[in-house]
Amino acid sequence: MTRHVPLDKTAHRDLRVRTEASAALGDAVMATLTVPNEFRNVQGHFPILFRREPGQGDFVALALFGFENGKNLFLDGARWDARYRPWSLAIQPFLIGRPESGDGPGQVHIDLGHPRIAEGGEGMRVFDEDGRATPFLDAIAERLGALDAGFRASGDFFAALRDHELLEPFTLEVPLDDGSKHSLVGYHIIDEAKLQALDAVTLGRLHAAGHLMPIFMAIASLSQFSALVARKNRARHG
Amino acid sequence: MNGTIEKVVIVGGGTAGWLAACSLAAARPGLDVTLIEAPDIPTIGVGEGTWPTLRATLAAIGLDEAGFLTACDASFKQGSRFDGWVDGGADDRYFHPFTSPPDAPVGELLAAWREDAPDLSFAAAMTPQVALCDRHLAPRQRAMPAYQGAANYAYHLDAGKLAALLTRHATQRLGVRHLADHVVDVLGDGEGGIAAVRTREHGDIAAGLFVDCTGHAALLIGRHLGVEWIDRGNVLFNDRALAAQVPVAPGSPIASQTIATAHAAGWIWDIGLPGRRGIGCVYASRFLDDEAAEAVLRSHIAAVLPDAPDVAVRKLSFPTGHRARFWQGNCVAVGLSAGFIEPLESSAIVLIELSLRALAENFPASRAAMAIHAERFNTLFRYRWDRVVEFLKLHYALSRRDEPYWRAQRDPAHVPQRLTDLLALWRDQPPSAWDFPQIDEIFSAASHQYILYGMGFPLPEGLAVSDRARAAIAASRQRARSLTAGLPANRDYLDALHAETGARAAAMEGY
Repeated sequence: MTRHVPLDKTAHRDLRVRTEASAALGDAVMATLTVPNEFRNVQGHFPILFRREPGQGDFVALALFGFENGKNLFLDGARWDARYRPWSLAIQPFLIGRPESGDGPGQVHIDLGHPRIAEGGEGMRVFDEDGRATPFLDAIAERLGALDAGFRASGDFFAALRDHELLEPFTLEVPLDDGSKHSLVGYHIIDEAKLQALDAVTLGRLHAAGHLMPIFMAIASLSQFSALVARKNRARHG
Repeated sequence: MNGTIEKVVIVGGGTAGWLAACSLAAARPGLDVTLIEAPDIPTIGVGEGTWPTLRATLAAIGLDEAGFLTACDASFKQGSRFDGWVDGGADDRYFHPFTSPPDAPVGELLAAWREDAPDLSFAAAMTPQVALCDRHLAPRQRAMPAYQGAANYAYHLDAGKLAALLTRHATQRLGVRHLADHVVDVLGDGEGGIAAVRTREHGDIAAGLFVDCTGHAALLIGRHLGVEWIDRGNVLFNDRALAAQVPVAPGSPIASQTIATAHAAGWIWDIGLPGRRGIGCVYASRFLDDEAAEAVLRSHIAAVLPDAPDVAVRKLSFPTGHRARFWQGNCVAVGLSAGFIEPLESSAIVLIELSLRALAENFPASRAAMAIHAERFNTLFRYRWDRVVEFLKLHYALSRRDEPYWRAQRDPAHVPQRLTDLLALWRDQPPSAWDFPQIDEIFSAASHQYILYGMGFPLPEGLAVSDRARAAIAASRQRARSLTAGLPANRDYLDALHAETGARAAAMEGY
């Protein structure tokens, strides 16, 4: 059960957070949210796909870890088998909280119901014995800030993609070594043909708004599909 | 007698004998290894400190770290703390941590320490390890790969339990033959070596190479081969110890380091294991009688563990010194048969490991090559014993304590000339690899720096600070903050480990 509270150096003075990878700690996921300002980091490791959440108008971007719900091909027991961990996973069990009005500066909140809240004396301390934020919390806060900025900028990014019809539906039939196939449906990718057709003025505007680089990073990320399929085959054989 | 060496007989069990059996059997799978151990010698459960080398040794013989930690009631050791050695004052303490100073010229580091970190001791400025020790933190997280840590570490352990674990491992996994028998005689080979040992129950046991692990008795190297003992009591005065084991409360903190507290005529060790603390008083009988030493020990225990029950005290007498040669003919002495020095820097087990590594990696193919190996081995280990003696003496030579024992320790007549010379050089330049040029120096230049500057030895003049040294010291401070946030307390780590192992054992019994 989730229990979000603002992080407090007195109340959470001895709090520890489990940072190892584990299915029990919430890592057994097929994908995780990412934001345009993170695409550059993500594209070297995971494919980036877009999806419209059912019942919601807006698209979200996802870093893909596998082909089936609950199956993360980068989770190897207690080992995170990749050189990068997307922000939305790395910040757990922390989140950005805002005052009731919904505006104003974000605060670091923590979900005390999250399995990453450590029970015993093992795990990362959030505050040191003097009540100062530890380097761990400093790093979390930095990622939370980047993630928050990314979410705030996402609306403009997806509006631009919509305006220029740069998203196209994407269905991937993943052929496996043993002849079987996996289908990935309901996702979108960048429509490269439409992108190629954009004139210089439009490209200049997209660039000035900071959208061009994430668009190309998302395209580049698709080259990670072959590595992901290879992982899937290894997992089947293993 | 020029045949290949296919069989080794180890006489004597204990830490030395069983480490020898495991190391030789693991390193040389074709070798026939037999260990003869007197059946009725009680194992003595002394808490012992080790060196970081033990991690590689245990990994090499195929032991799992978690299994070792639980089987031996072990805890983590990240160095030593010396209390009261400089002047005996209330805040007189310094660290000798296992992690070396940053990789920068030590002169620059000393200057950066003086300018940028005068609030810290030398050791605390050089390595985040001191911050871990001050907080009783473990050097690793349980999720880390075995035998790896965020800071360099060794173990405190129950030596009797280590011998038992090694016995099981040697006999069940490594094919070592174990004879519970008494050696009643040693048969010479007419060439200055040993042909066989005569046992009470199993007759004569012949071998190409013998390892003497018979402890102070030195049955083969001393009694039979007559290799003389070189006494070093003239340099290191301590010749007695009183050992106690004090149970500790569940959940109490477990220290990250051996604590050596100086007293009027020696020092007191304190080694924290999960269930008890091994506390003992080392002293020189010339300066302190047994009764007075026991009073020193008991008052120390009462001071550090006020709620401790009354515990028994065991008295040990020891000579300080070593053999003139450690490899004679076809016999190699390993452990107490080779020598003994007070356990101030836990040199006993590391000398065993180094001897076995030298033997395993230079194993004589035949009797013909033996004399060449023996010569090299003897030169190397004489060098090492000399360095151990001098390094321990350094702890006494820099003291300003005023009791007769301490004044006598500083008397130039009792300080080796080489150490006197080095101390003269170190007024002008810090200890460096020029002073300790061997590969695998048992105590590196860094160890000497920790003692010297921990004890307030004056810095050489004209040191120039550098940006890289300043950056290294700043990075060390920042790393201390990261590590103290991420590492569990020793108690939490070991309790969780024991709980997990206990749960697994209970689950296994269910099958």
